[in-house]
Amino acid sequence: MRRRVWGLAIVSYALLLALSIFTRMKMPAGEYASDVGRLMEIRVHKVVHIEQTDDIVDALAEAKRKKLPISVSGARHSQGGQTLYENAIVLDMKGYDRILHIDEDRKLIRVQSGATWEKIQKAIQPLGLAMRIMQSQNLFTVGGSMSVNAHGRDLGEGPLIDSVESFRLLLASGEKLQISRTENAELFPLVIGGYGLFGIILDADLRLTDDAVYKKHVVPLDYQAFPEYFREQVLRSPDSVMAIARMSVAPDSFLKDMFVTAYLKTDEALTEDLAELNDERFVGITKFAFGLSRKFDWGKGAVWRLQKKGYLVEEEERISRNNAMRPAASFMEYADTQKTDLLQEYFIPVDRFLPFVDGLRRIVREDELNLLNVTIRYVPKNKEAMLSYAGHDSYAFVLLFNTKRTAPALQRMELSTRRLIDLALEQGGTYYLPYQLYGTTRQIKEAYPNIDAFYVAKRVWDPGLLFMNELYARYGR
Amino acid sequence: MRKQIHEGRERSALRWMMLSQSMMTFGGGIVFPFYLIFVKEIGGDFTEYGIAYGLFTLCSAYLNGVFGKSSDRYGRKRFLLLSAWGTALLFLVFPIVTDIWQIYALQILMGVFGAMQKTCEKALLADMTEEGRRGEQIGRYHIGVSICSGLAVMAGGVLIDLFTLDVMFYLGSIVLFLSGLMLSGVGEKTPT
Ligand SMILES: Cc1cc2nc3c(=O)[nH]c(=O)nc-3n(C[C@H](O)[C@H](O)[C@H](O)COP(=O)(O)OP(=O)(O)OC[C@H]3O[C@@H](n4cnc5c(N)ncnc54)[C@H](O)[C@@H]3O)c2cc1C
Repeated sequence: MRRRVWGLAIVSYALLLALSIFTRMKMPAGEYASDVGRLMEIRVHKVVHIEQTDDIVDALAEAKRKKLPISVSGARHSQGGQTLYENAIVLDMKGYDRILHIDEDRKLIRVQSGATWEKIQKAIQPLGLAMRIMQSQNLFTVGGSMSVNAHGRDLGEGPLIDSVESFRLLLASGEKLQISRTENAELFPLVIGGYGLFGIILDADLRLTDDAVYKKHVVPLDYQAFPEYFREQVLRSPDSVMAIARMSVAPDSFLKDMFVTAYLKTDEALTEDLAELNDERFVGITKFAFGLSRKFDWGKGAVWRLQKKGYLVEEEERISRNNAMRPAASFMEYADTQKTDLLQEYFIPVDRFLPFVDGLRRIVREDELNLLNVTIRYVPKNKEAMLSYAGHDSYAFVLLFNTKRTAPALQRMELSTRRLIDLALEQGGTYYLPYQLYGTTRQIKEAYPNIDAFYVAKRVWDPGLLFMNELYARYGR
Repeated sequence: MRKQIHEGRERSALRWMMLSQSMMTFGGGIVFPFYLIFVKEIGGDFTEYGIAYGLFTLCSAYLNGVFGKSSDRYGRKRFLLLSAWGTALLFLVFPIVTDIWQIYALQILMGVFGAMQKTCEKALLADMTEEGRRGEQIGRYHIGVSICSGLAVMAGGVLIDLFTLDVMFYLGSIVLFLSGLMLSGVGEKTPT
């Protein structure tokens, strides 16, 4: 009798255990994916690490069989779920990164889309070549950068679309297409700046340029003097190649003090010492200083003074083009579970610089935002991509905010962001889409007047909405 | 002669009790250090983690009294068994929850079973040990249980590197269920 009871208990337990495991297995595979903003954790079906083209073809077949959507991810530095979608099969392209061919004479490189700029720099630097355009850091992938149509700091180079010769795309239909300005040309401006919504970029032919020696020229100035200085001294000078400006976030000089670093051409020979790729220096110290300025206003003041000193010391310093394109980024990596750094970017027509800065200062103060860093790049007008953000010659303001990850704090951030977007729109500017999806439907339409046509094209090329991400889910449907 | 047999039985009962409770600590111990990760995966933050833990403690605080008294009446082994198997079943639910409120509910139930275990373990120990040697016996008992809880935390650390949190809950659950089975070896003086 007692035996019977124990036996019954064991059998019941075993059944319940099996039931639980069975239920668990029927649930979505339970992989959570996130991006550097770590704002959304989305339960995706699974992440497939791509190494060869067949892996992509297989994943596509599986997605169709199981009727699941696909999201594509590169280095996952976008911050609003552009690489994610609920219950999607996520293709992680980072392992799909072979360099297929370098044509030294025509200065072209063919690479698979998961390759990072870092990998490309390592391959082309010994040949005396450099990228024409890329972001200020080299940790991004070719596919991710093409899909946002990244811009850099070059004064004479448009956004990335300018240096793309052609690429191959795997469509939702399973067909592989060669795409350039002459072949299947209508897809060219859709895919570049298309946030992975038209297909998977397999590999691309990118235009390169020569590595060279630049001289840094650093000028501190007041923001009122910036527009004229930049127009007359930087843009007019035949020697300036690249430039970046930085604004103070210290309380006593908030968004007033700034300095401009220009990179000037020299005809000096590229010595081996200069040409060699540098690794990040002083990451530990910068990280610490950055940590202080996240937390305290006096930290912001101290960092500003340090930066100013440091940058002024660099005056006249010689640097190769390749090294100028690979500055530190890892000090920004930030793993606090309760807070996060959010990046945002606004493109403001050059003649609207002053009203934008004044508006920015007002909003940051009124909304008590923790603004950590402000850099400014020049982005020449380029309307080739369907979702072009540079309808005018513009200044790109890159803003880094620190915020708590709690719901109320993020809600406040969302409202403040909408104020900032409205400010940009009032000045005839736009905002960048790889970041948080805080803009309203009205705002995205105003900033990207072609967006409806973009959605229509999306549905023509991908009628089953196989390629999905949170960006399209939020605005496109 | 009679007394000796009786003593032997008592000693082995104490040993079974130690084994069972050690396994109980072990089963819980391989999961608890990673509980925070679990709450985070569900989408909670530190506040919610705090609430979940607070619920557990508050619930068991009140119920300690209730169960203590009932165990005087109905027997302590019964409650220990209920607690082990109850927790084992709850561990089967953890892997399939999707919302933070479900965790709150589970935590409340965990508090219920936790209270049963805590009070009845102590009371039963007092019953099973003899006056005069009680300290020595309880001391020996605790050596076993503490070693197991230490081992559990270490084993948990290794296992979590190898398996997902779900697997940890299933392992924990099986161990807890077995710890309940062990209690069959514990004889108990029937309450009067
Ligand atoms: C610290 C920091 C600094 C930045 N600085 C700049 C800057 O100076 N200039 C600038 O323009 N931007 C800048 N950005 C934004 C950055 O360029 C974008 O976030 C870019 O998308 C990052 O590339 P990724 O490889 O991480 O792409 P991911 O975030 O992984 O992907 C971005 C988009 O590309 C799609 N995608 C990725 N690979 C493929 C593929 N093979 N085929 C099809 N679609 C694909 C994804 O689906 C997604 O929609 C910066 C971002 C950060 C975090």
